[in-house]
Amino acid sequence: MDYARFVRLRRPVWEAFEAQLAAGRDRWRSFGYRELEEMALRYRQVLHDHALAAARFPGTAVAQRLQTLALEGTHRLTGERRQRGGLLRFFTHTFPRAFQRQLGVTGFAVALFLLATFWGLAIATLRPALGITMLGPEALQGLEEGELWTDSLVTTVPPSISSSGIATNNISVALSAWSGGVLAGLVPLYVILLNGLMLGSIFGVTLHYSMAGELLEFISAHGPLELTLVVVSAAGGLAIGRSLVAAGDKPRALAVREAGRDALAVLLGCVPWFVPLALTEVFVSPSPQLPVSLKVTLGLALESLFLFMAFRPVPAEATDDRA
Amino acid sequence: MAAIRHESILGLDNIRLDLPVASVGSRSLAAFLDYLILIVLMFLWLLLSALIGAFLSSAWMPVILIVGLFLLNWGYFAGFEIATGGRTPGKMALRLRVVTAEGGSPGAGALLMRNLIRAIDLIFGVPMMAIDPLARRLGDRLAGTLVVHDRGREAAPVLGRIPPGWGARELAVVEAFLARARSLENTAESWQMADHILDRIRADAPELLAGIDTRRDPVAALRQALQVEDA
Repeated sequence: MDYARFVRLRRPVWEAFEAQLAAGRDRWRSFGYRELEEMALRYRQVLHDHALAAARFPGTAVAQRLQTLALEGTHRLTGERRQRGGLLRFFTHTFPRAFQRQLGVTGFAVALFLLATFWGLAIATLRPALGITMLGPEALQGLEEGELWTDSLVTTVPPSISSSGIATNNISVALSAWSGGVLAGLVPLYVILLNGLMLGSIFGVTLHYSMAGELLEFISAHGPLELTLVVVSAAGGLAIGRSLVAAGDKPRALAVREAGRDALAVLLGCVPWFVPLALTEVFVSPSPQLPVSLKVTLGLALESLFLFMAFRPVPAEATDDRA
Repeated sequence: MAAIRHESILGLDNIRLDLPVASVGSRSLAAFLDYLILIVLMFLWLLLSALIGAFLSSAWMPVILIVGLFLLNWGYFAGFEIATGGRTPGKMALRLRVVTAEGGSPGAGALLMRNLIRAIDLIFGVPMMAIDPLARRLGDRLAGTLVVHDRGREAAPVLGRIPPGWGARELAVVEAFLARARSLENTAESWQMADHILDRIRADAPELLAGIDTRRDPVAALRQALQVEDA
């Protein structure tokens, strides 16, 4: 087929496809089955014409036009499937499924965190001076006077400011721990170990000053879930890091993408919890009027609710619905 | 103008598609523009919060400020890319867009993922883009995305009649000349070039020039002889 004849015969198809792409820009969802079928057929025809033009007439205006059209069609007609069912389906299906797939690495992260906590506790109990240096002189002065440093954290600034500050700070920690996973998992590892070490040594020091009860009371409402969320988000980062370092029998690019999808779903399932937690930390945890039993119950309820959402049995689907 | 680097991928039916990959230079420039816009937006948010604090509620001003800056910081890039199908204002200015490794449109998850890694890519991204043939930074590798040039289609001259014996090379040269002839400042040079092509047509297929005055405007004569149409 010569060039001029090729253009004359095939141009109506290209123009019709271009017109459909332009129309789809505004009213994609209103396309009926027939229109979509026509479009799919024309896309295939355009791809084949592009292949022919690239081989027979390279460098010509028509070859360039078909190249642009084939790319535009590929961009518009192929791509990642949109999540169905919105937020509710995400929290009831996608998140628990991703969490459960990532359970092994989450278990490893929890074990690391507990190990670091016991290590911190042991250091602060056996060598209180070391633990004290981690808290700083002001907190130490407060402890000597029988006050926890946490009191000043939430009483010197209005609760609205401290709650938004706490929420954004905690979310930033979770996001950084997660995203740092691309550095071979080193950042989430650091976050998990540091948090565990700090928690353990703080307990050790407060035990030394006989203030551990007050500290437990303060963290009982928000602490369990807050630490869980940080560790679970960091575990997502660890999963990404593991896929980079040891991809197994999959190509590394594929392993990283798969780990990233699950880790993202887990992270997105964790982040919203930080908002009610920050409000709890500001309004419930430091309140002397509220009984300890209520704070403990609230803390356990929040933790149980999260764990229930995460471990909720979700039937396996034929088609994957990763985020 | 530097040529755009193309990277081949296999599309439907194993047909080769050449993606016009955006390299480290254009991507860095787009990111620079975006960060400038982000700084301006943050400054505007600061002003707006101060106005709210002064006239409406001083108690809520810091909350609006903290939450707004947090959302801008973590959400500017991902928000724009999700809303516009892979473009931020900086990318729009340089006509770039994010696509999947297969050339398709990326989902919200992939766009979110590539932007959560952005802080780390501020350090590692540029060298990674420079050494990768697909100019991917860490975030792109994690999300399976690429950034490509998004050149819209412009009408170009297409030959409607071809002298016998002409191959793709001749067609491409003549079409490229006719596309550029209108923008050439030196008319004498473009006429000279058109004369050369007319001479070649005269030798290969003189019947195509029958009844055409080639002396007055050789470029117009060339278009007429080859029945050029802008399509």
